[in-house]
Amino acid sequence: MNLSKALRNLQRASLSSLTSLCFLLCCLMVLLASFGSAQELQEQVTSVTLENGLRVIMVAQDSAPVIYFNLMFDVGGIDEPDGLGGLAHMVEHMAFKGTQTIGDEDLARELEVLEDIEVLVAAIDQAESAGFAEAEIAKLEDDLTALRAEAETLASPNALDSLFDANGAVGLNASTGYDFTSYVVALPSNRLELYARVYADILLEPVFRSFYEERDVVMEERRQRSEDDPRGVLVEAFLDTAFEAHPYGRSLIGSAAEIEDYRATEAEAFFELYYHPNRAVLVMVGDVDPDRDLEIIEQYFGTVPAGPDFRRDLPVEPTQTEELRVDVPFDAEPQLYIGYHKPTYPDREAYVLDVISGVLSSGRTSRLYRRMVLEDQIAVSAGAGSSFPGSREANLFVLVGNPRFPATPSDLETAFYEELERLKTEPVSERELTKVKNQVRAGFIRGLASGSGLASQLAFYELFLGGWDNLEGYAETIESITPEEIMAVASEIFVPTNRTVGTLITTSPDEESSTEEGAGQ
Amino acid sequence: MSAAHKSLGKVTLALMMLFIVLSMFVSHANPSEWTDPEMMSFDQLVPEPQVPERVELSNGLVVYLLVDDTLPLVQGTLYLRAGGLFDPDAQTGLASLTATMLREGGTSTRTPDELDEALEFLAASVESSAGTSFATVSFSALSENTEDVLSIFHDVVLNPAFDEGRLEVEKGGLLEGIRRQNDDPVGIAQREFLRLVADGHPQGRFETEDSINSIDIAAMRNFHQTYYVPNGSYLAVSGDIDTEEIVASLEAAFADWPAQDVTYPEVAPFPLRPEGQVYFIPRETAQSVIFIGHPSVYAYTPAYNELDVANGILGGEGFSSRITTEVRTRRGLAYSTGSGVTQGYDAPGIFFAYSLSRGDATLEVIDALLGEIRNFQEGGVSVSELERQQATTLNRAVFRFVSPAAVAERTARAEMLGLAADYYETYINNLQTVTPEDIQTISQTELRPDEAIIVVVGDPEQFGGADALEVFGDVIIIDVDADDTDGAYLPNLLTPSQVSLQVGN
Repeated sequence: MNLSKALRNLQRASLSSLTSLCFLLCCLMVLLASFGSAQELQEQVTSVTLENGLRVIMVAQDSAPVIYFNLMFDVGGIDEPDGLGGLAHMVEHMAFKGTQTIGDEDLARELEVLEDIEVLVAAIDQAESAGFAEAEIAKLEDDLTALRAEAETLASPNALDSLFDANGAVGLNASTGYDFTSYVVALPSNRLELYARVYADILLEPVFRSFYEERDVVMEERRQRSEDDPRGVLVEAFLDTAFEAHPYGRSLIGSAAEIEDYRATEAEAFFELYYHPNRAVLVMVGDVDPDRDLEIIEQYFGTVPAGPDFRRDLPVEPTQTEELRVDVPFDAEPQLYIGYHKPTYPDREAYVLDVISGVLSSGRTSRLYRRMVLEDQIAVSAGAGSSFPGSREANLFVLVGNPRFPATPSDLETAFYEELERLKTEPVSERELTKVKNQVRAGFIRGLASGSGLASQLAFYELFLGGWDNLEGYAETIESITPEEIMAVASEIFVPTNRTVGTLITTSPDEESSTEEGAGQ
Repeated sequence: MSAAHKSLGKVTLALMMLFIVLSMFVSHANPSEWTDPEMMSFDQLVPEPQVPERVELSNGLVVYLLVDDTLPLVQGTLYLRAGGLFDPDAQTGLASLTATMLREGGTSTRTPDELDEALEFLAASVESSAGTSFATVSFSALSENTEDVLSIFHDVVLNPAFDEGRLEVEKGGLLEGIRRQNDDPVGIAQREFLRLVADGHPQGRFETEDSINSIDIAAMRNFHQTYYVPNGSYLAVSGDIDTEEIVASLEAAFADWPAQDVTYPEVAPFPLRPEGQVYFIPRETAQSVIFIGHPSVYAYTPAYNELDVANGILGGEGFSSRITTEVRTRRGLAYSTGSGVTQGYDAPGIFFAYSLSRGDATLEVIDALLGEIRNFQEGGVSVSELERQQATTLNRAVFRFVSPAAVAERTARAEMLGLAADYYETYINNLQTVTPEDIQTISQTELRPDEAIIVVVGDPEQFGGADALEVFGDVIIIDVDADDTDGAYLPNLLTPSQVSLQVGN
């Protein structure tokens, strides 16, 4: 093991970062294309919907005796109410805290203490807003500290993790995106019953223990990802500028003030509202046998009642009418983000833009790499992504680059815009299109080799892109895209009034502190 | 409470009431009547080992082959003793740049552009890179294109052209990386920690503007001619292959690669027992990044295996481990925290504990990390902790054979690094007889908190100034922005790990 790996290992309960989101979406594009192996995949899949609405997709592979699980829920950052940004992510952390029968030491007393903690937290909130004397508030705080200390003695920490680890789990993790929340783990295949027993229990009787300690952990995660990492700082400011009304513009992890405001009661309400089998899909890849395994899945998950299918009315993003720009001063070298609003699937333009993204940035022969990294030598990296920061809703086509000194972000902008103009005026050659299609085909086959990757792709596709088996339709669409369409879509989308530009501007630490409040606005 | 809180409450309440009404008609499950998952017992699945076939070509290249026809793919990785260990003193980065330029710089028969175009049109890849211990050149292809891609792979390994234009691009990228090396506080901390622990040894050396500028095509050609030899190199090939056919192809393709004697240069010694010291790098950050550690043992020794078990319980096994439970779960002081022991081959491995924690908790967290280490040494481990760690490793063993490519690569790497063929099996056998006393003894001899090198990157104003760190020892302040500091690029962290203990793929 090495240091980087050690750090990565602790990304458990992590947010889907820019890279992983882009990666997931690239993989999706790749997966969706149906070539020779799609047929074989169809033959390996058994898909069943339980009475409570839980969709179960089993992919039987001739593999080692292991199963890769992905339990994905149709709830993410965009489903949070205003003012509670990041709550979906907080709830994801809490789902690892155990249940009434996992991690409990003295359940009756523990539940009483947890309730008392909530009462006290609410009392402190009220005392603060009513302007009580500091001494009185301090007294309440002391009581709260004592209760939290007692709660800690009434349960064992990380019982769920220990249980899975001792059973040989690999990759126990979860991630929250704007669109979804997913829980992943791989286990020796004879532990199927353990998996079903534990996750059905989490849906039925979770205990949100040590909530306020975990809130501090999330605050640390925010500092690490969104305050000290220059890319994280830039992305938050960029999305906030690009979206005026839609929640894709909010911080996925939440602002420090929002996190500070989380209460266990609200997290539990969010869980009750969204965590139901009828808005989830369970994918199992590997040594599965439907005849043997479905009964166990049914036995446990089948007992979880269906719940409401609550949908928040999402605000419609108004049409952008002028270019938007944000400069973020930070003590780091410059970085650039450019975004254009675009529709999502199943709008045909979304598929055309997937192809455009491949032409622009897939590999060393792609247009952006050749032009900006090899020929002009103005960038150390230059790429494109076609569905940022999510794909359930209308989103952004993004161009991302790091300039190479002495080139500036403005030099990168000029080159990006020239490449977009070229897409409008010159048809993409047949060879370039074929190359992108070849890469899609090989990428699809390679995707089948990873149990965890395949599971997450199938889950996302089942929940948000019309069903896992709707493969041919997508592939046919991609296959049918013509050079003329690429020109038409490029001409419509890549216009200055539809553009947002975010730039990380280098500043010394002293300058930064004087403009800090401006950053991120 | 904000209005938003209340609105969620109302909607929720209404829906929950509806939900409660609906659920009255469903027979309710009662997990307390289910089997306690702690009591569920399962057989330990014993993996069916896949054993790659070992073939030695006439020029001495050892090839490991593993057939896996589940997908129409072929992949291979060539391991060569051509890592940064052999960088000349003034040319840190030579091994790495040489390896990179094999793929980037074209060959005697293909320009860089032609090489890129040929591979990408076939949706294939050939990639090359080098760490401290060794260099690798790998390929991946759809099996229908195996012959074409093998021919390119051969060309890249043997006939690099080191194209001048591409060299300029690569050097420019490295220099930009050096410009950006202090953008990320975690990168600073890892790099400085390694530089200090491995002081003077190639593992602790990083590329600088001067070292990059001093590398020219002649130096790379010379490095390639000296160290890229078939004898002592290992190639792992797996996928949809016919082993006889592929051996014949490789024998024919690499017939023009003769064995050649190599005189390896003396490598600067690794400091085995550096003095404990606190190093502080001031940055205006929200969190302090803390690394605490020291050189440890070689991976070849039995002590490494016991230390690996000890580290798992102390801080290596994620949420089940003591450091994560204490610093993260109980105190809420970090999102990323834990400990690790690297596998050392050319030099001893490194033990380290780390945490990324809010600035005002810096002293508390350093104290907690040191406290967990000392507590472990004094109090030892319980039988149940050890049993859980043993169960974790034994039950995970089945994942060692999930990926045939990983099996072939692991086998080839292990032989190159001089590990016994049954290294892992021995580890598993020893693991089952290790006692809590053994774990305590190894922690007392091989964990040395009093000699630890402590590196902190953070904002001194948040914890009472750099002087406050003196409770942990003498403090030396490092200015990583100073023009005369020995610069650095990507912390090239300890790449030759994962040989035998890695699970998964």
